[in-house]
Amino acid sequence: MVTNLQNSVWLLGAGEGGHGLTPVGLFAYAFLVIAIIFGILTASKNGLNPRYFTNRWTQRTEQLYLFLENMALGIIGPHGKRYMPILFTFWLVIFISNLFALFMPSAPTADLSFNLGMALIAIGYVQYEGMRANGVGKHWTHFAGPKLPIALIPITMMIFVIEIISEAMKNLSLSLRLFGNIDGGHLAAESLNSLGKHIIPVGGMELSIPFGAFLLPIKLLTVVVQALIFTLLFSVYLSLVTHHDDHGDEHATAAAH
Amino acid sequence: MSMLPLALGLAALGCAIGLGMIGMAAMNGMARQPEAIGKMQTVMLIALAFVELVFLLTLFLGANSFKG
Repeated sequence: MVTNLQNSVWLLGAGEGGHGLTPVGLFAYAFLVIAIIFGILTASKNGLNPRYFTNRWTQRTEQLYLFLENMALGIIGPHGKRYMPILFTFWLVIFISNLFALFMPSAPTADLSFNLGMALIAIGYVQYEGMRANGVGKHWTHFAGPKLPIALIPITMMIFVIEIISEAMKNLSLSLRLFGNIDGGHLAAESLNSLGKHIIPVGGMELSIPFGAFLLPIKLLTVVVQALIFTLLFSVYLSLVTHHDDHGDEHATAAAH
Repeated sequence: MSMLPLALGLAALGCAIGLGMIGMAAMNGMARQPEAIGKMQTVMLIALAFVELVFLLTLFLGANSFKG
């Protein structure tokens, strides 16, 4: 509990004896925030029609949406637009939960059960979409691999079992990756804080340096990239089960005829 | 004396080599074909995630087995 509390206020230069703000952590934090705000402000107008996007907040969220949509459409294909709501929801939930990990002793995504719940939702939705795109029977038979002669039925059954296991392991890999990255960030900040504990003797007290503050940039990178990777892998799994569904090509060939 | 730090260091070494090779290949590809940067970044991120997962699994399994 005490270490958690210290970890939560590492930005303020915590540790026994070190009350009040430490300039190092505060400067690092302020510099990072200013740099990010500057970057967002300069980049937010690029490529948007100024007639329709006059509100600055609209511009920023539109850029975010366009970025994710480009990515998802590149992976899933032209029919990926209908998966944008769930993809964007996942991105926002994970990103905002990850943001807590920067400043708080714990975060929703530093809890394995939350991540496992999200992974179960994602993989369950993938199964549902696969059944809707290919039909229930075809979706389950595609786990059994290619069509083999009747003498090789044991091999088909083995392939089926292995494919089902690998499908179930997708849940584990999705949730464990997110959990490990966020919780690992916490552990690293805590270890670095304990390195700098009681190393500045001032008067009767020994101040601490929160070395964990220097991890803030890389933690910020982790926060964004992990949210992106969850969304990315989700869209990869979606594209794997729905890529037989070639509506765009059908329309294109129909127009060509 | 626990060998856990050494083991974790070795795991981190392997993970770092793998990540570096992915980054190197992606940068080579991006420099040769700048118009494909978007696609390459996506695939690179997926590959990075898979390599990283192996290290995280090592971390969990190692820490848990050394604890008991």
